[in-house]
Amino acid sequence: MLSKTNEKILVVQNLNVSYQKLKVLFDVSIEVNTGEVVAIVGRNGAGKTTLFRTIAGFIKKDSGSIFFKSKDIGSLPAYEVAQLGLKYIPQDKQVFSDLEVRENLELGSYATKDYNWDVVLEYFPKLKTLLKRKAGHLSGGERQMLLIAMALLGNPELVLMDEPTEGLAPHVINDLSHAFKEINKKTTLVIIEQNLPLTAEIANRVYSMKEGKIIAETVDKDDIKKMVFEKYL
Amino acid sequence: MSKIFKGVLGPFLLIFLLLVARFIFPHKVTFITELSIFTIYVMGNDILYGYLGLVSFGQPFYLSVGAYSAAIYLAYLGHSPLVALVAGIISGFIVGMVLGPFFIRLRGDYFALINAAICAIGLFIVEKLLIGITRGDDGLWYRSRMGVTPILDIRMPNNFFYFALLILLIILLLYKFMDHSVLGVSFRAIRVNERKMRFLGYDTFKIKWIGFSLASILSAISGALYAINFGFVNPSLGEPSRAAEVLVATLIGGAGTVYGPFFGAFGFLGIKDLVSKYIERWELFVGILTILVLFKFSKGIWGGVDFFIIEKLKTKIKSFKQKRYPI
Repeated sequence: MLSKTNEKILVVQNLNVSYQKLKVLFDVSIEVNTGEVVAIVGRNGAGKTTLFRTIAGFIKKDSGSIFFKSKDIGSLPAYEVAQLGLKYIPQDKQVFSDLEVRENLELGSYATKDYNWDVVLEYFPKLKTLLKRKAGHLSGGERQMLLIAMALLGNPELVLMDEPTEGLAPHVINDLSHAFKEINKKTTLVIIEQNLPLTAEIANRVYSMKEGKIIAETVDKDDIKKMVFEKYL
Repeated sequence: MSKIFKGVLGPFLLIFLLLVARFIFPHKVTFITELSIFTIYVMGNDILYGYLGLVSFGQPFYLSVGAYSAAIYLAYLGHSPLVALVAGIISGFIVGMVLGPFFIRLRGDYFALINAAICAIGLFIVEKLLIGITRGDDGLWYRSRMGVTPILDIRMPNNFFYFALLILLIILLLYKFMDHSVLGVSFRAIRVNERKMRFLGYDTFKIKWIGFSLASILSAISGALYAINFGFVNPSLGEPSRAAEVLVATLIGGAGTVYGPFFGAFGFLGIKDLVSKYIERWELFVGILTILVLFKFSKGIWGGVDFFIIEKLKTKIKSFKQKRYPI
């Protein structure tokens, strides 16, 4: 069981990122403590996904620093960041569609040398019945479950999830919400989420982003429950 | 049936069928030998195209690297065809390891074209630059220098047939093992979504480099076998215009499968062997077959065989067993 501590697992300081000449992140700073669920909210184009992709090593930063477990990961390639225990689940819900669910999970296992699927299948029992199915034939919710399950193999210490509930049916969101709480018992989560009630339900800290900047940070649980961060959107 | 037995059954069965074919059609020994060698060449291209999703217009270069390494060894340095084969393998490995880091950084059409470029450069090197060693267009002849090999004298075409089958069997077994291994799954996963592989923590650059080197080695083995079989090589082996041959064979056989390369090689060489007796432009039939595959049988000949015969046979056996043993 992972308890919330004041130990900072992720520290992003004054991060600036550009796509060629177009600057998209301006002095972004966030902190994530071990055991937290941190949500990042904001309208489309606010720079949330760019922030995640930069932390995960897919986009080069212009300036600023990114520390994961006190290690500077700002210039590491994506696969090395993942190997350190920081996993990123993008919003595109792309699995290895030609491969079976079992083979997709095996790829997660090979990368991390974690061949014990019991824990991740416990979070998503439905996957047990789909192991032989081609991943390309899964529904959106099932794909998301598979992606999260693959990312969780190897017990990552921090998982970045980009809009995990986008486009999913309410009952699937409900299942995922329950799973996030279970996952958070072992792993720190940072989630980009447009679903504000879900954010209010699971988050301990909420960063609001607008036009490439962090414009507010909400840490008070009551304020989060009342969704005060909505006013910044 | 144990997993290992199941795994080796297919390759052994294929080689057995080729052996049977040799006795039923004794005048086709040369064809079956060429088929075995060409299958290895197609397998190399299949790793690039079928598994990694990379189209290369330069495979004749890697073929001629193996062929000329073996040929130069036999013409100037030694006499053993087995050492010549090893020279081919080593040269394929070196070329793959050296060129790989530069080439696999390129994507799609650029990868295809850089390979076409290296193929043109390779042709220039053997035809003009190293003419003193390779004898240019006249080719390099060394059959009389080839020494006897232990157990089986592979200088004799009939014996070389068994040797080529043995090499094909070994490569098929390794290929099947690769297909089921982490490496094979990683190759296919990179073809589907390379970025996702990096999310999971895979160094996709290294995996592609391994794939490129394996492809280069297989092409070079094939080239070395050609060189040993024919007793001479000339630059036509590495002509860029022949790059389409191996691509078409990979496609019609069924890309990204263990047995697809064999069926592709069989389809391609079979048409060449059969149709060229009657029509000069036998490539027309290869073209028709390719169009058929592209529009109707996207999984190639092996995909069709697998779907229409093997899977249906499996279903029938299953239903027969259920009828016989309902519980």
